[in-house]
Amino acid sequence: MSKPVSITINGQIFEEDVPLRLLLVDFIRDVAGLTGTHVACTWEGRCGACTVLLNGEAVKSCMLLAVQADGENVTTVEGLAADGQLHALQEAFRDRNAIQCGFCTSGVLMTAVDLLAENPEPTDGEIRRGLVGNLCRCTGYVHIAEAVAAAARAMRAAPRP
Amino acid sequence: MSTTETSAPWVGRSIPRKEDLRLLRGRGQYLADLALPGMLHLVFARSAQAHARLQAVDGARARAMRGVVAVVTGEDIRREIQPLPIKVVQPNLTAKYPTFWPLAVGKVCFHGEPIAAVVATDKYVAEDAARAITARYDPLPVVTDVEAALQPSAPRLNEDWDDNVMFSVDFGEDVSALMAQADVVVRGRFRAHRVGVTPLETRGVLAQWAEPDGMTVWITNQRPHVERLALADVLGIPAQQMRVIAPRDQGGAFGTKAPFYREEILVCYLARKLGRPVRWVETREEHLMAVSQERDQIHDLELAARRDGRILAMRDRVLGDVGDAKEGVYWGYLMPFIGAALLPNGYDLPKLDVKLRCVVTNKSALSPARAFGSFPSRFAMDRAVDMLARRLGLETADVIRINLIKDLPHTTATGVYYDSGDYRRVLDTLLEKVDLPAFRREQDSARRQGRYVGIGFGTGTAFSGVASEVLVPVENQPGYGAATVRIDPRGKVFLAEGDAPHGQGHETVFAQVAADEFGIHPDDVVLSYGDTTTTPFGSGTIGARGASYTVSAVVEACRHLKAKMARILAHDLKLAGAGPEDFDFAGGEIVYRRDPTKRRGFAAHADRIVMGPLDLPAGDSGGLEHTAFFEAAKPMYGFSAHAAIVEVNPESGEFKVLRYVTMEDVGRAINPRMVESQVQGGVIQGLSNTIYEQFVYDAEGQQQSTSFLTYRMASAADVPTVEVYHADTPCPLTPLGTRGLGEGVPGPVPAALTNAVVDALTPFGFEFTTLPLRPERIWAALHGKAAGGAAEAPKVV
Repeated sequence: MSKPVSITINGQIFEEDVPLRLLLVDFIRDVAGLTGTHVACTWEGRCGACTVLLNGEAVKSCMLLAVQADGENVTTVEGLAADGQLHALQEAFRDRNAIQCGFCTSGVLMTAVDLLAENPEPTDGEIRRGLVGNLCRCTGYVHIAEAVAAAARAMRAAPRP
Repeated sequence: MSTTETSAPWVGRSIPRKEDLRLLRGRGQYLADLALPGMLHLVFARSAQAHARLQAVDGARARAMRGVVAVVTGEDIRREIQPLPIKVVQPNLTAKYPTFWPLAVGKVCFHGEPIAAVVATDKYVAEDAARAITARYDPLPVVTDVEAALQPSAPRLNEDWDDNVMFSVDFGEDVSALMAQADVVVRGRFRAHRVGVTPLETRGVLAQWAEPDGMTVWITNQRPHVERLALADVLGIPAQQMRVIAPRDQGGAFGTKAPFYREEILVCYLARKLGRPVRWVETREEHLMAVSQERDQIHDLELAARRDGRILAMRDRVLGDVGDAKEGVYWGYLMPFIGAALLPNGYDLPKLDVKLRCVVTNKSALSPARAFGSFPSRFAMDRAVDMLARRLGLETADVIRINLIKDLPHTTATGVYYDSGDYRRVLDTLLEKVDLPAFRREQDSARRQGRYVGIGFGTGTAFSGVASEVLVPVENQPGYGAATVRIDPRGKVFLAEGDAPHGQGHETVFAQVAADEFGIHPDDVVLSYGDTTTTPFGSGTIGARGASYTVSAVVEACRHLKAKMARILAHDLKLAGAGPEDFDFAGGEIVYRRDPTKRRGFAAHADRIVMGPLDLPAGDSGGLEHTAFFEAAKPMYGFSAHAAIVEVNPESGEFKVLRYVTMEDVGRAINPRMVESQVQGGVIQGLSNTIYEQFVYDAEGQQQSTSFLTYRMASAADVPTVEVYHADTPCPLTPLGTRGLGEGVPGPVPAALTNAVVDALTPFGFEFTTLPLRPERIWAALHGKAAGGAAEAPKVV
């Protein structure tokens, strides 16, 4: 059984007939060809590697069907940099060595975008609690938490239009 | 920080990583991101039972489903695939090696063993079809406990064996006389649970067969060159038709992707059989059931010592539970074997008596995890040293100190050669950082307020690469590091290594090193890796080889080419008698040191040698490319010491890590911030292993920890910030003085944390020797309910 959907990802409209059971993460990766969104727990909603923004709010794209995103706006990690300029979070992750293998990074970044939109001046504890839905195996989290705090400072100093 | 703002030297600077520019944009190229036209999807059906005769596997219903291209069982493939063991992935050590195929034949030995595979045009259909496969089992008695598996009446996993003992080894000699005469003997049963370092990216394989080129296969993998040889052998494919590529980006491995596994064999077999590309991407459930389970050792360890704490002898009876052991390269037992060999750790233990037995059980094969086998043995040893100090009323740090190896090089009584370093300086520098006397005063005043804080130490010697003299006998593979360096006519440098990094950042650190050698910018250096067709043979990204062996091969290859460039420049500029040492490579130029007006641009000179190979010195030819194979004169090890400070609530057993401090000796750091990141991550892996994670099997061998909800990894809110410090001594055996670091970092963690909890609860006479270290288990041990505190009371002779 399939159904036509129209999903906007990073500003581009994708109109496709999709099986009802197709996961949003598979729509993003296999239909739209945007492979920056990853799968690490295989559809349990625990690892957070598939986190994207749905109408600006962080969601785990393995926990939604593609048909549930019909008519909605999705932002993936590929849509984070604007006009070739890295997002403040991306800059901070690079400066602070917040990445090793990079597999969790996309999901962490998208969660952090939402976190900073909700709380532009988070404490270290608030950042760490905000990231509990994203597992990282390589870094021990400290450089990630530092990078989110640094990005928050940078974004407060120079808000994006 | 931008790499354009500053200049050489690049080594020693925390420049941002080259890798991050693609990873931050979601442009990584991981295995699951690779697809080929006409690609089919493979899904495994796995055993529902832990030990049973496999009467029949029925794929008829699956085969009939629309979109299903093939269904295969063990019986279908057993005559077409050479079973393991095969020599290239079999250690040169005497052990019993079980025979196995990629799919179970005749019987199953653990819950999750592959019994059939489905290939379909769509991955959802392949999963439906795999669920439609049914098997008839004739159940056999299950054994999941290592001591039960040793009983004469225990069910045997391999019916052609007389028992379940796969491998035994003895180190040292009888120490009974020393034990009998010693001032004090402490003994305990130390147990590390089954736990590992599952990476965030699961395994995967994409295979393509094309006549006449043969097989091209992408595998999540740490050692593509060894995979290539093994796959050619089991599939009967001439080696020139076998190309293995580890993807450019891999989502971590930590040892998990180092073995030669069953699944890649079957994916390749089916790609050839069907004449179409086939991809398998492992689910997390499969991953947690089949791989990444390590540790799982029992140590009955005794120390005999003088009253001043000096250890005279150690005796240990070690049991390693290696699961079904069906896994190429490691066979489950190499981890406990190395763990036992490294039992002396950084201690000078002149006399020891260690006997290790590795036993098969109805569990998944033990597969490597960072700290490779020595996580349990370091826990046992450093816990025992702590018990000894408590027994004697001495400060544990003092007992560690008087037993540390003073003079290096040193060969342990287990035959392990430690090359260099200053172990006491590492410990002493750590003690300064934690200010032990001040801590003891704080501890006293806290106790008076009813608060229980404690400090614990863990130490460790760890591989800095693995020398051929170790790796050939143990893994049947060479230990040398290999690198190719090619300079192009624009003065850009191309590096290639045969290993397969998976998050370590080789592209950045190798570029820093080559940039300094040639006096150019790291942006002008690119690194390629992982493809067996385009890289020199290497044994893989294992055992902290990157900054020890492989980077040293890069340096040697660069220096070979610098000598050639210098020779030709001396010839061109008619500098009679000038040798390679008379030229500086700096600022993009090659400068004659005795007369700096005599110089040439690096790129111009490369162009002259590669594109204009006329009028060359006698004996030289054109071109600038060299492959170096670096072998250190002796095996190399690094040493580190960790301290944990915790506060424990004796009412609940809950504890909080107040400080975690590490002191490392990395020799010379190439990129200090990346080194720090390795330590941060390694400590948190060790902490997560010690406290949170555990693979659980029930009495029937059913796996109970098959998702991230039941196999719980530490999250950002669970863990402390590690204070990372250094007491570096340059390694004399590498050209830059570097040591490898990363592999061993989790090793000292369980003892440091447990010793800290024990120290905090000293007023209660508390002991704890069985991991995991969890509040409810601490509480139970504290209230006399055994869990975790099953040790015998320390005995004074």
